Amino acid sequence: MPRTPRTIARYAGLAAAGIGFLLLIIGPFIGEAISPDTVLTVEPVSYSGAITLIVGLALVAGTYLIRRRSGSSDENGEANWSQVTQDYFDTFSHDMGRPFRRILGKEREVRARIEESGADVPASVHSLMDEIEQQAPSFRLMLDNVRVLVELEDPGAKSVMEPVDPAGIVRNIADRYFALAAEQGIDLSWWAEPQEFGLVYGDAAAIDHIVTNLVDNSMKFACKSIEVRVTRNPTHYYIRVWDDGSGIPESHLPHLFDRGWTPALAGRQEKSSSGLGLYIARTLCRRSGGDLAVESRTDRNGPGGSNSDSTEADGHYTSMTVMLPLRDRPESEPDGRSNGSQHGNGDRIK
Amino acid sequence: MTQQRGGTSRGQKILVVDDESTSDLMRSVLRRLETEGFRPIVIQPEGQRVDGRQYETEALFALEDERPAAVLLDVRFGEYDEDRFMGLNILKKIVERDPSMPVLMFTQYAQGPYRDTAVAASLSVSAPVDFIDKLASPDEVLLRLRRLIGSAPENVKIGSMFELDASNGIVYSHTEGERNHVREIQGMKFEILKELATAYFRSEAEVVPFSRLERFSEGEDSRASLRVRIREIKVAMGKAVQRDFGADELIINIRNRGYRLSPPRVSSNSGNQA
Repeated sequence: MPRTPRTIARYAGLAAAGIGFLLLIIGPFIGEAISPDTVLTVEPVSYSGAITLIVGLALVAGTYLIRRRSGSSDENGEANWSQVTQDYFDTFSHDMGRPFRRILGKEREVRARIEESGADVPASVHSLMDEIEQQAPSFRLMLDNVRVLVELEDPGAKSVMEPVDPAGIVRNIADRYFALAAEQGIDLSWWAEPQEFGLVYGDAAAIDHIVTNLVDNSMKFACKSIEVRVTRNPTHYYIRVWDDGSGIPESHLPHLFDRGWTPALAGRQEKSSSGLGLYIARTLCRRSGGDLAVESRTDRNGPGGSNSDSTEADGHYTSMTVMLPLRDRPESEPDGRSNGSQHGNGDRIK
Repeated sequence: MTQQRGGTSRGQKILVVDDESTSDLMRSVLRRLETEGFRPIVIQPEGQRVDGRQYETEALFALEDERPAAVLLDVRFGEYDEDRFMGLNILKKIVERDPSMPVLMFTQYAQGPYRDTAVAASLSVSAPVDFIDKLASPDEVLLRLRRLIGSAPENVKIGSMFELDASNGIVYSHTEGERNHVREIQGMKFEILKELATAYFRSEAEVVPFSRLERFSEGEDSRASLRVRIREIKVAMGKAVQRDFGADELIINIRNRGYRLSPPRVSSNSGNQA
């Protein structure tokens, strides 16, 4: 284990105190009084020993005081590093977001002024403004992906379990992408079975992030439709994101969740990808005690994935299914508390 | 880009507490709220050095004076470090005064530790609080706010062609500036359309499962009966606007799981204001 300056100082203090104590003990036997007529009838050896002892003890006490004030960071060095890094990336993403918010604001202002004036603006201008608008969800996701990546590097990071409404989370994500999908000619639908899905215990931020990544991914490949379905059985709940895109070739499936892997690496056409979304989604699923499964068909004749859902057996598609365990209510959790964004009936919590 | 929906706000006040309320981004949100019939009340303290405390004071006064239907509240105020979470202090004070007041926290920290801090703060008060980040579209803000307020739709615009008056059980069509009663839509057919319109009001992409709609159909084969009623609704509404609605218009079947409302698009710009 590497020695920190504080540890070295502590050992030095202990050594000094020990030497000082020794000198104090043996002083009367080996030293001589400086001035026998005064109160300071002390031998130089004992005098030096006492000073060394005091200095040594002060040094040791000082190191313990510093340690207490710094919150025992010897033991939690990694956690402190993580907090600092998280803070750094939060500031970074906040500052990164500022110029984009300004650009987006200007675009919306221009759009409003055009509408107010009733001016006949070429379709190409609207198309340019739409392009800016379309980047907003991806930009939001990109900033969040950076944050989550940092969080995933923290070995001490844990899922925050709270009462959440998975259907509510999916509804919010559908709100975010619906207009964008419509502009691209994609029909985005979602439903929950049962419709009044109720609350479960889970990591709301993680679920939101996982499903957002999956929907965003589907937006890149869907031809005409994206469907998100929330279901449950007695032990698990499932969120399936399905799109009618060209499907994933079987040879790509083993690499799909690799960090940094993109279809572009294997020659698949796409608009843009960092290769992080699916990696993050599956990592978050597994950290929450669940998993992420993929099922894909590239054409009518060749399924690319495993067993297929009979309702989708008539063409190419890709289906990503988030599987998360239904957890019991933690003993410390207050009854029926929800996190504000997930209002609902606490009694429905499994 | 925006479909016309809603119409239940009827001048409901929304208290806006955000030091960036004059930014282009926030202006687009305020404009959208106004289009939807809300009345935004914007807190704008005056002075050379405005800090979070002033927003807090004025917001609490406005809460008493204006009696808003909801509050749109920023988390971070100004550039002063001590105001980093001033929004959470204001939230706490608002909830102390009115625990049922819906509050939409408008922040760039919809995720991450700041969101966790905000959630922790809201948990302690167990109030109707939701979070949305500042890059959200005005439509998204509107939907979230509407759900938070939780008002049942009395009047739902279905695109620019139709309007469903839930309280009077009437469907209107809009053609060439005229509003006409679609008399064929009543009874079970009206209930089916109302169910679909309510889901659409909550979330444009939401599918209503067959099981929920089959309550309004008769006979041994309720699914077939439902299919017939849906067809009758589409025909009646199509007749009202001289249109023939196809399978992917107005009411669409989603993968044999349920139906979803999809307002028909018009070629001309005849959109009407809610």
